[in-house]
Amino acid sequence: MSHEKRTLEFYVLAAFFTLFVLFLYGPLSAILILSFQGETGGLTFPLNGVSLHWFANLFERQAVGDFGGSFKRSLVLGVMVMIVTVAVSLLAGLAFRRKFRGATALFYLAVASLVVPSIIISLGIGVVFQQIGFRPAWYTSAFGAHLTWTLPFGVLIMFAVFNRFSPAYEEAARDLGASSWQTFAHVVLPMIAPSLIGVGLFGFTLSYDEFARTLMTSGTFNTLPLEIYGMTTNVTTPVLYALGTVTTVFSFLVILATLAAILYVGRRRARA
Amino acid sequence: MTVALERPAIAAAKPARRRRLSLSAITPYLQSAPLALILGAFLLLPIIMIVVVSFWDYDFAAMYPDFLTTNYFDVLGSWVTWKTYLNTIKLAVIVWALTLFIGFWVAYFLAFHIRTTAMQMVLFLICTVPFLTSNIIRMISWIPVLGRNGLINSTLVQLGLVPKPIEWLLYSEFAVVLAMVHLYTLFMVTPIFNTLMRIDKSLVEAARDAGASRWQVLWNVIIPLAKPGMAIGTIFVVTLVMADFSTVQVMSGGQSASVALMMKNQMSLLQYPAAAANAVVLLVLVLLMVAGILRIVDIRKEL
Amino acid sequence: MTNTTQTKTGISRRALLKTGAAAVGLAAGSGAISGFPTIWAQSNITLRQFGTGVSNLNAIADKCKADLGITLEMTATDSDAAAQRAVTQPDSYDIADIEYWICKKVFPTGVLQPMDVSKLKYYDELVPLFKTGKLTPDSVIAQGTAPHTVGFVEAQGSKTFAKAPTNWFTMVPTIYNADTLGIRPDLVGRDITTWADIMDPAFKGKTAILNIPSIGIMDAAMIMEAMGNIKYADKGNMTKEEIDKTIDFLIKAKQGGQFRAFWKSFDESVNLMASGEVVIQSMWSPAVAAVRSKGIACRFQPLKEGYRSWGGGLGLAAHLKGAELDAAYEYINWYTSGWVGGYLNRQGYYSANMVSAKKFMSEDEWGYWIEGKPAKGEIKAPDGTVMEKAGALRDGGSFEERMGKVACWNSVMDEDRYMVKRWNEFIAA
Repeated sequence: MSHEKRTLEFYVLAAFFTLFVLFLYGPLSAILILSFQGETGGLTFPLNGVSLHWFANLFERQAVGDFGGSFKRSLVLGVMVMIVTVAVSLLAGLAFRRKFRGATALFYLAVASLVVPSIIISLGIGVVFQQIGFRPAWYTSAFGAHLTWTLPFGVLIMFAVFNRFSPAYEEAARDLGASSWQTFAHVVLPMIAPSLIGVGLFGFTLSYDEFARTLMTSGTFNTLPLEIYGMTTNVTTPVLYALGTVTTVFSFLVILATLAAILYVGRRRARA
Repeated sequence: MTVALERPAIAAAKPARRRRLSLSAITPYLQSAPLALILGAFLLLPIIMIVVVSFWDYDFAAMYPDFLTTNYFDVLGSWVTWKTYLNTIKLAVIVWALTLFIGFWVAYFLAFHIRTTAMQMVLFLICTVPFLTSNIIRMISWIPVLGRNGLINSTLVQLGLVPKPIEWLLYSEFAVVLAMVHLYTLFMVTPIFNTLMRIDKSLVEAARDAGASRWQVLWNVIIPLAKPGMAIGTIFVVTLVMADFSTVQVMSGGQSASVALMMKNQMSLLQYPAAAANAVVLLVLVLLMVAGILRIVDIRKEL
Repeated sequence: MTNTTQTKTGISRRALLKTGAAAVGLAAGSGAISGFPTIWAQSNITLRQFGTGVSNLNAIADKCKADLGITLEMTATDSDAAAQRAVTQPDSYDIADIEYWICKKVFPTGVLQPMDVSKLKYYDELVPLFKTGKLTPDSVIAQGTAPHTVGFVEAQGSKTFAKAPTNWFTMVPTIYNADTLGIRPDLVGRDITTWADIMDPAFKGKTAILNIPSIGIMDAAMIMEAMGNIKYADKGNMTKEEIDKTIDFLIKAKQGGQFRAFWKSFDESVNLMASGEVVIQSMWSPAVAAVRSKGIACRFQPLKEGYRSWGGGLGLAAHLKGAELDAAYEYINWYTSGWVGGYLNRQGYYSANMVSAKKFMSEDEWGYWIEGKPAKGEIKAPDGTVMEKAGALRDGGSFEERMGKVACWNSVMDEDRYMVKRWNEFIAA
């Protein structure tokens, strides 16, 4: 197909794709523009001049809340969730390559984890912690709540990866006398590394942006999405948009870093 | 829960085969243990708790452990519940249809019309970036665009296309659907793109060599092979819409109801047993929908 | 005092407890040694407080640290989440900053402990509204969940509210205000005098009320009564028939397209007004100020039926004891000692202790915000931005005029189960 000339279908779809991208970025650009709102401007158009006032304001102390603290918490939580999601999904993916009792049950439990409405999990975890007498906190109850959201994604991705993974490589390695650990570390792991990075990225961003599941499990301190939501009870300035712009830029950086990591792994593998 | 739990019950009922407990035999159990533990503690236990609480009694001030079905009668016996569920399902169907349509064509374009893998990755990542921005911010970002004096309305009025601002752009069902499509399309694009990428291109070539038209190839080869991706995307989108409360609240300006919003209103006055009963009903409904989807497409086999 | 505050000894809270300094703390907490809150400077004691963004101000935490040495960790939530957190995560906070209407439901769950009035240094100076329900001895008690009805319990450990003031105070009031309709004088084009005006067909599609059931229903009740549709026995505690009538009326108005939106948070109300989506809506006083600070005309319109009022207070978590409990008392005493009061008054809210707050406000500020006199100079917000120019008059007049004309408080009704059910119908309609 790649040798054909561009067809009409290509141009129609390219236009469709462009429209889709515009649709995705349209409102975001509204935010981007409004975050440069003048000092007296509000949350809506028109612009009252152009300034960096709200970005400066973002890094100052707000009248209410604590962007810095909640950002840090969300970041740490995101990294924690990322690491655990990668490790647990990888293990589960390996487990599911063989038959074991309860495999189907576990698979459906993972799917259920995905489909159970977030607010129900949030409420449930909150109540359970209360009944047991544990203190809910962002690094315990909310951490668990986030995992119920990220793990199914991770497990499904690992499934897809291992379904396509030919055991021939491993057999070859074993024939050459590699132990099962060596086979795993030197053959399997490098091959699935890009997917693992993908799982990690997924885990991080899903957690970083999680709202409903954190609502009743965060304990004393807010994560960033909760903070943003709480802010709306008091903040009526474009500082919210400045925050939006900054987090989008941050996401860009995360993606670039991931891309770089994948490329790096790919190149190393190519060299090896 | 019912659906997911039916199967283990059957599985457990099978007579246990005697097996030698060697290290390699228990390996899968050890490997799957973390997943099982986490899901058990943070998913199963909380849901059991919710189910238990949904049978409790409550009055003005407190909840009392009990076994009452009143909460369920209250939920199922009111026309509001039915209307709200219908409304939410309607919303889910509309959003699903739109995201499926958009998601499929976007994924198709990326998978079959972009020639280099690098370009595919770049374009795909372009689609991913907005998804990494806070949902709440993405949602409220529509307000300055759609509002009475927003970007679209002021442009239309200035161009003289409409005499006065269009009211239904914001705080309407239209706004809710628009925002949801915006928020959730990526959940459709990703799995479909993933399945499309794995279609063996020689299959398509073979079909074309056999004289099939582009549409025939699309209809008879590509779409059937893309079904698992569509199924996964459908599960994502349907469950996200069914459980949504903030998008509906913000984008409809509080004018529309959704099931989760109804639960939130009950929770806001601390009527937890009622909210829990509602949650159980919602959960059963969503799981039935997912079971239906899984019956059509076994995603596990075709992943 | 400042010196001691800055000396950090580095003794941990636990160490302090062990060394028996708690006993000293007890003495301070009881108010016996007033003027020596410096003890806390050495203790690194931390109090965790949550509440809505309206009153969880960082400035208060900063000042508290400077004055008392107590670190106040504040978490802002929306008002729904605040109620949830109060009940479902009682271990996650030491001080709950919640509204009085939800206190009616929160307190009986046993997550808060009442305060010993004798330990509250400024109890006598608190506005009587929170003790007897009357602003002045001859004022009429407003309907609804008035703060004094949930202000006291019979004894420590009791979960039922007392009918008259006792020695056990449930919450120390923080801020309160009287709400009414906010209008865009440039867009309404006529005088607004009554709650019924929000139903004027001329404003079709340009009005809004609150979407928090306990508050929205009171908005609706004020409107219903103003239109002469109904006369409630007690609109803060409606019967099922009254709820039916009110909700049916709301449903009809909604289907007729009278409302543009139902708002839930402060910023929504400001944006609705500032962007011209609505021209008349139920509104909070500082939201009006926020609209005005953007250079848009907006008025907090006094109405002949009176105001719908609300108030919040600080409650002590049930798990507090020992040194932490004393610190909490110390904090609450400090809260009512004036600085915070002045700060809140300057935002357009009212503080519970007007006597002490006055000492922390300039004469002009006191005149403008509390006495309803024309401003002599510029009236500035706490961050220094000019809110009103010289000569400005506060809408609704003085504190007595506004809080004296409260018709009802935000309410949790005995029939709240039925009310929420019907409210969900209204939203679904």
